[in-house]
Amino acid sequence: MTESVERLSLPKGPALLLVLLAALAFLTLATGVAFAQPSAQAADGEALFKEKCVACHTIGGGKLVGPDLQGVTERQDPVWLKQWILAPDQVLASGDPIATGLFKEYNNVPMPNLGLTPDQVDALLAYLGGGATTGGAGAELPAGDAVSGKAYFVGDQRFSNGGPHCISCHSVAGLGSLGGGNLGPDLTNSGYTQSETAFASFISAPSTQTMNSIWASTPLTLQEQADLYAFLSKAAIQQREPSSLLQIALLAILGAALLIALANLYWGKRLRGVRKPMVERARAAAKR
Amino acid sequence: MDIRAHVSMVFHLDKCIGCHTCSVACKNIWTDRKGTEYMWWNNVETKPGTGYPTQWEDQEKYKGGWALGEDGRIHLRLHDRTNGLSNIFYNPALPTIDDYYEPWTYDYENLFNAPEGDDQPTARAVSMITGKPMDNIEAGPNWDDDLGGSPVYAANDVNLNKLTEEEREQLAEIERVVFFYLPRICNHCLNPGCVAACPAGAIYKRGEDGIVLISQEKCRAWRMCISGCPYKKTYFNWSSGKSEKCILCVPRLESGQPPACFHSCVGRIRYLGVLLYDADMIEKSTSVPDSELVAAQRAMIMDPFDPAIIAAAKQNKISDAMIAAAQNSPVYKFVKKWQIALPLHAEFRTLPMLYYVPPMLPILAKTKDGNYDIEGLDREGLPAMLGSLEKARMPIKYMASLFSAGNVEEVEAAYRKLIAVRIFKRAQKVKDYQQAEVDAALAAGKTNPEEVEAIFRLTSLPTYEERFVVPPLGRESAVEAWENPLERKTEAGFGVRNKIAKRKF
Repeated sequence: MTESVERLSLPKGPALLLVLLAALAFLTLATGVAFAQPSAQAADGEALFKEKCVACHTIGGGKLVGPDLQGVTERQDPVWLKQWILAPDQVLASGDPIATGLFKEYNNVPMPNLGLTPDQVDALLAYLGGGATTGGAGAELPAGDAVSGKAYFVGDQRFSNGGPHCISCHSVAGLGSLGGGNLGPDLTNSGYTQSETAFASFISAPSTQTMNSIWASTPLTLQEQADLYAFLSKAAIQQREPSSLLQIALLAILGAALLIALANLYWGKRLRGVRKPMVERARAAAKR
Repeated sequence: MDIRAHVSMVFHLDKCIGCHTCSVACKNIWTDRKGTEYMWWNNVETKPGTGYPTQWEDQEKYKGGWALGEDGRIHLRLHDRTNGLSNIFYNPALPTIDDYYEPWTYDYENLFNAPEGDDQPTARAVSMITGKPMDNIEAGPNWDDDLGGSPVYAANDVNLNKLTEEEREQLAEIERVVFFYLPRICNHCLNPGCVAACPAGAIYKRGEDGIVLISQEKCRAWRMCISGCPYKKTYFNWSSGKSEKCILCVPRLESGQPPACFHSCVGRIRYLGVLLYDADMIEKSTSVPDSELVAAQRAMIMDPFDPAIIAAAKQNKISDAMIAAAQNSPVYKFVKKWQIALPLHAEFRTLPMLYYVPPMLPILAKTKDGNYDIEGLDREGLPAMLGSLEKARMPIKYMASLFSAGNVEEVEAAYRKLIAVRIFKRAQKVKDYQQAEVDAALAAGKTNPEEVEAIFRLTSLPTYEERFVVPPLGRESAVEAWENPLERKTEAGFGVRNKIAKRKF
């Protein structure tokens, strides 16, 4: 084979046959390995759980962003459960009653599609049904400072590991009438901030694809997490103030007026008709 | 030297009777569609008057054409590149529909269908844009025809700005009032403002004959051409969202006929023929001072009999038939040989290829004891009747403002020659001029009896073939530059558009 690559031509005759046979053997072996390892499933499931699920779930450690998964394999129908873990977004969109109930119970935070293969889901289910527990969420947060949390959120203060400030993607009440970005969910009264442990657990290893790709390389320190939580959970920002709507309306009107004034300044000298002013001038002169 | 051919025009204003047949011929062929009702690709204006659209000659308002900059180069009056970009969604120099006029028709059906009543039914005016009745029509495309409404309209003629207050007052005097007609179509300029202003590159000048056209596929409705054309001869079709303009009846020209307005002209004032010009001189001739513009434009026109010019033309693939047409061209004679046809408003610097023979001007006279009394001799010692430019009712400065960018000598020279023709022929036929007077007129007009006879012949007695020397435009060979003429060779005939079922047995 190396020879044929060096000659930059495809193998011919018996050589080709040999190559094809080798390729076939390799494929059979590889797929065989993938399909024939049921005993390794639970171990894989544990790794998967630690990678994908711990941000929102515990087994026997209590609720975080999502429910405690102890005994979930007995609580739910296995077929439904597999479908749910495979494509939670589709199940939720189909109006499934269990999924809708969970969605409401957990403050309208939808379970993200984790992009798992059916085998990975089987492994996860094997792990969940195996009776393992994970205990509670990670570290306890120190005392947070809401003012500093807001500074982190809007970007007045930099995160020590260089992560982006939250306002680029998230909005929250208490930021002023214009709010923040729309890419991520609005964090006002959100399920992600319902408890300190839930928030800390999620933010230290976010499971959603967008968040994970950002925060995996630039994690937040414990103090930063605590400050952010203090800001996000503050009573004052649990609800949008009605006055902010008025502010938005006023800002829009002012902005429009300013734009029109500028446009008039720039295009004010445009031609506004020749004949009518001419005739009116002549009439006025005739009157005089 | 870059010799090119141009289908050019002469309008002999002395023969225009202001009948608007040309305008109607054009309207019936080209602009009776929806969205074009207000367009008059050909219109006839009364001068002095404000024209169509109102005061189109006032480039302070309309920003058309080119202006000579301090750097000695010409710049579009409408905008430079930066302004063009910042104004692209909002062209600040567009005429309003009122400056053209709101087109209307009459509800004629009401005359037949009205229910029985005490009064005669009437046909109310109905707007062709809104479809609503227009009971108070205030303007039309030719509102000031024959000096109608002159205290308002004629008094605001932009060319009158060149006259003194005294001259303007005299123009309004009874028995001195004077007007003439100015028919206008697209000038198919050599340096068109519309082409330069178009951000979409939709307007082009055909290489083989110089006709300026707007591509209806490429036009993106920016409407910069409407501002860029100083003659306001591109129009926006509000229905199709594309700009349109005079196409010099290319379909007629390509089949050897003159354009409809030329063909229908009752006074036979219109001449059409080919001019050969040197395209290398365009930049230089557009950036000379105003007074030299007409001479510079004339200098670009080349002698089609000169072997060197013919060789250069052939090198540019101008066909023998085109060169022959240029040699027979009545336009060449009027513009270059006799120099009595002048471009309209050369100061717009677009090098218009439509030339006007200025109209003879009635002279100032007063009735004394019931006789029309003309006194004295003019500067050249000629009797006032035909010879006097000084006594002309219309100040020569006004004519210079129209036809020679303000250069009085240029327009006077044309007039002296036209007067010489009149005096020469009158001496011949009516015999009331002395030979000395005829000789003086010929000398003043810098002409001779042969030339006078030729001018007389082409002015008064031209045949159809002499007025319209339509060259074979060679479109079929020009088109080969971008299209294979055999491409659709097997795609016509029976059964191509509608498949024919095979007969079953």
